[in-house]
Amino acid sequence: MNYYLRRTIRIPATILGVATLTFGLIRLLPGGPFTQLRIQLRRRGMDAQEINARIEALQNIRPEKSLPEQYLDYLIGVVQLDLGQSISLNKPVIEVIGQALPWTVFIVVVSTLLMFVLGVLLGSLQAYWEGTTFDSVGSGLSILFMSIPYYIYAVAFLVVLAFSWGVFPTSAAADRSIEAGFTVAYAVSVLHHAALPIISFTIGGVGSTALSMRGNSIQVLGREFVEVARLRGLSDQRIATRYVAMNAILPMYTGLLLLVGFRLGGTVVLEEIFTYPGLGFYLIEGVNANDYPLMMGCFMVITIALVLAVYFADMTYGLIDPRISVGDADEY
Amino acid sequence: MSSDTLTSQGSDERQPDPILEITDTNVTYTDGESYVLEDASVSIHRDEILGIVGESGSGKSMFASAILDAVPDPGVLSGQLIYNRRDGTTVDILGLSDEQLRAFRWEEIAMVFQGAMHSFNPTMKIKTHFTETLQSHDRSVGEGMSFARELLESLYLEPERVLNAYPHELSGGMQQRALIALSMVLNPEVLIMDEPTAALDLLMQRSILSLLNDLQEEYDLTIVFITHDLPLVAGIADRMAIIYAFEFVEIGPRDAIIANAAHPYTRALLQATPNINSPLEAMQSIEGQGPAPANVPSGCRFHPRCPVATDECESVEPTLDAHDANNHRVACHHVERAREELTISTDEEGAFSATERTTQTTTDAESLLELSDLQVHFEASQGVIEQFIGEPDVVKAVDGVSLSIEAQDLVCLLGESGCGKTTLGKAMIGLQEPTGGSITFRGESLDEHDDARAALQIIHQDPSSALNPNRRIVDILSEPLLHTHPNASITERRRRITSLLERIGMTPADAYIERYPHQLSGGEKQRVVLSRALLMDPDAVLADEAISAVDVSLRIEIMDLLLELQEEFETSYLFISHDLSNARYITEHAGGRIAVMYLGEIVEIGSAQRLLTDPRHPYTEVLRWATPDLGLDTDADDEPPVREIDVPDPIDPPTGCRFHTRCPVARETCVETSPELRDCEDGDGAVACFREEPDHQYWESDPLDGASEHPE
Repeated sequence: MNYYLRRTIRIPATILGVATLTFGLIRLLPGGPFTQLRIQLRRRGMDAQEINARIEALQNIRPEKSLPEQYLDYLIGVVQLDLGQSISLNKPVIEVIGQALPWTVFIVVVSTLLMFVLGVLLGSLQAYWEGTTFDSVGSGLSILFMSIPYYIYAVAFLVVLAFSWGVFPTSAAADRSIEAGFTVAYAVSVLHHAALPIISFTIGGVGSTALSMRGNSIQVLGREFVEVARLRGLSDQRIATRYVAMNAILPMYTGLLLLVGFRLGGTVVLEEIFTYPGLGFYLIEGVNANDYPLMMGCFMVITIALVLAVYFADMTYGLIDPRISVGDADEY
Repeated sequence: MSSDTLTSQGSDERQPDPILEITDTNVTYTDGESYVLEDASVSIHRDEILGIVGESGSGKSMFASAILDAVPDPGVLSGQLIYNRRDGTTVDILGLSDEQLRAFRWEEIAMVFQGAMHSFNPTMKIKTHFTETLQSHDRSVGEGMSFARELLESLYLEPERVLNAYPHELSGGMQQRALIALSMVLNPEVLIMDEPTAALDLLMQRSILSLLNDLQEEYDLTIVFITHDLPLVAGIADRMAIIYAFEFVEIGPRDAIIANAAHPYTRALLQATPNINSPLEAMQSIEGQGPAPANVPSGCRFHPRCPVATDECESVEPTLDAHDANNHRVACHHVERAREELTISTDEEGAFSATERTTQTTTDAESLLELSDLQVHFEASQGVIEQFIGEPDVVKAVDGVSLSIEAQDLVCLLGESGCGKTTLGKAMIGLQEPTGGSITFRGESLDEHDDARAALQIIHQDPSSALNPNRRIVDILSEPLLHTHPNASITERRRRITSLLERIGMTPADAYIERYPHQLSGGEKQRVVLSRALLMDPDAVLADEAISAVDVSLRIEIMDLLLELQEEFETSYLFISHDLSNARYITEHAGGRIAVMYLGEIVEIGSAQRLLTDPRHPYTEVLRWATPDLGLDTDADDEPPVREIDVPDPIDPPTGCRFHTRCPVARETCVETSPELRDCEDGDGAVACFREEPDHQYWESDPLDGASEHPE
């Protein structure tokens, strides 16, 4: 079958798999929120029908129905973006996610791009000056930075810059006193609040990007077409961008998109440290409150984001690198 | 050195006018201790083609880089390089500033590298390569591009198609020609070509060479052609220089080098080249290998390999002196003795002597492998849009081949790349599932035969990637023995391996078996691969371009080994080659057949002798033309005898006879109907061409555009 078609069909299939897993997990977990809730409600003297109605509203499942019917209802709910009702926040899950997701996406996209740009710059400079002090110091620092987990930076920044020196705020995504909107004051406030999370989430990545960029560039610099370009009298700047950088960055492109997906799920601890109201923050909230619908909703969103990122990378790589004919090309 | 420029023995007696004077030029590494080019003193005449010949690792590429002052770090270039402009001004290349050098390169001297694939930026269209070059040298892009189109057209390329393609979308031959056009886009005076055709098919090599000859005349170019392939460059060169172990050992007019070579190394090279015009027994390989830069022999560097060496050669280094009246210079103490004692036979008499084994004619015996109407079709990859609609394109790599191979037979598949010879070979030994037709092995279907997998072996083109780098030779060779002799003890296996290694000339075997593949030379690796295949005790071995990756001077040696071991191991060979002279060498020795393939079909099959002396199919004749020989009267001036240089797209092969788009004698009939492979009436083998049938309607139909009206 056609590669693009196959690849596109695989997306709903993956999401279906994840939805099925979440559905099954809820049922498998002993002492899940519904058992607890059922006991609580029964103690209050509610009758069984009322209890079922409540639970049904909470999770868009009708407990009295058979398992396949419940499964079907749940799936229909997911398709209609109805992920149930958050128990602890008493709001529809989709609404909570709708508010949290933009913040997380903002943090992740900005920090990943920053990481990529800085890493590529640093790596190519190191490759050009291969063997110099700059190169060895750069490589050493890169290794050091990438081996320290991001939450260490986060805690350190929070303690020093936010609590001791008070240069940055300690929580929230924006100043509550400023009204949300496209105003300069609001944008400044947003950046001010996001600065520390973004920086802590970027530093380690810069190191690893720089190292792989350095390696790729050194390889490309040794290729014959760079030598030929030099003999053809092209300017150093053109060789550095169109010849070396272009060919060194290409293999890193798929990795970049995958990274965006993975880092979406990696913000959990980060947002908890900075009390930043993103997806990860609510996920932890959900875990702490035994709020299963919220947890499952967050899982679903993170998974879907990852699946879409990989899909996008697969689809576009062929357009970006002319050598890749997408799919299973073979020579004869 | 000056003697070189005083008189010219060039065929047209033009006044020597050196465009480049290279004096005492050295390239050194590791603080001047090892030389990779030593005391090079050569003058290159304006508008000549200078052929520089040397083995791999002899410093010939370093010479090319030195001319452009582009020696790779940490090499150090010293000496004097003077470039004379047409208007009389001179340029000291080593004295140029960086900016001057940037402008000088490509405007005055341009270079063409071996691997065109690696010379283009894979992420840019060909066109961008041209425009950026023009812009960097402040030329008008409009004028430059129309010149580029003119160049591409004269190189038999469609300018628009090539310019708008990415490098990987072009075939190797097209890339190489596009690279030649790119090197000429600023209209330079000198073109330095470093093995520009080594990666290509012979036919493409020859075609490019004849195009080069045209370009050289049309644009008044001076060409320095660097290669390891002496017969190839002999066809176009005006003068030739031989380089051995980082020094020039002989330099002179082409005719003097070919007919009256003075240096023992040159004579050995001439003798070592498989040549379709010389008798088989005259071809001999050169013993040993060229030295590494770190341990160059004292005295004459060639003396350890030289048959006429004396004590004097060991201690005194000969200088490059003129020995004859013309500017033929040689660095050898014993020119007279070398000429007397080392004979080169180029006479065509006795070319087909009775060295043949009795050709197998026992067709009634059960054949080893029997192919009937074999087809292997692939689905080609497509673009984004095409994938959603319509049927996939099908490449008919092998389309209806019938062939039978006897025990201890040798069949050589000959053809250009993309003609399906490797696919056919792989299908024959069961590595490629056929999509149609049948293969029987010893009377049974190949996939039902239990022993077939072990009995059919393969030797790949590149021995380096065919050997596991992490295993010792003894481990590599033990593997097949474990299959064939599962009960043999370790000592027994070792004994067999050492005796085989000794047999194939890798002595001392005890030292070799402990080595890893990277510690062996290319020729030795290929011998290990060969041994590994033979230790399986196979009935047939597929040798897929098995000697193409080996240095020219070793090819004969490897082929001889193949032949000797064939008798010993009683195996059959399927030998794949694009080189008629190699194919002829091995088939004639083994008494086998050559099968000429074109776009998935066998167009002619027969003994080497019949194919060489009496080729019936026009394609065989074209391949015959493409094979360089060392005759003095041969010149690459003649146009390629094909109407199109490139092989048609195999996805949409031509109708009728597939060769009709390129065939020099095609007629209307060939477009519509396809000839069948018919047995030759007055000769061995079979051929698929209407010209074999005297009363075919072919003779009445009109010749196609560009085809010859009166063939023969």
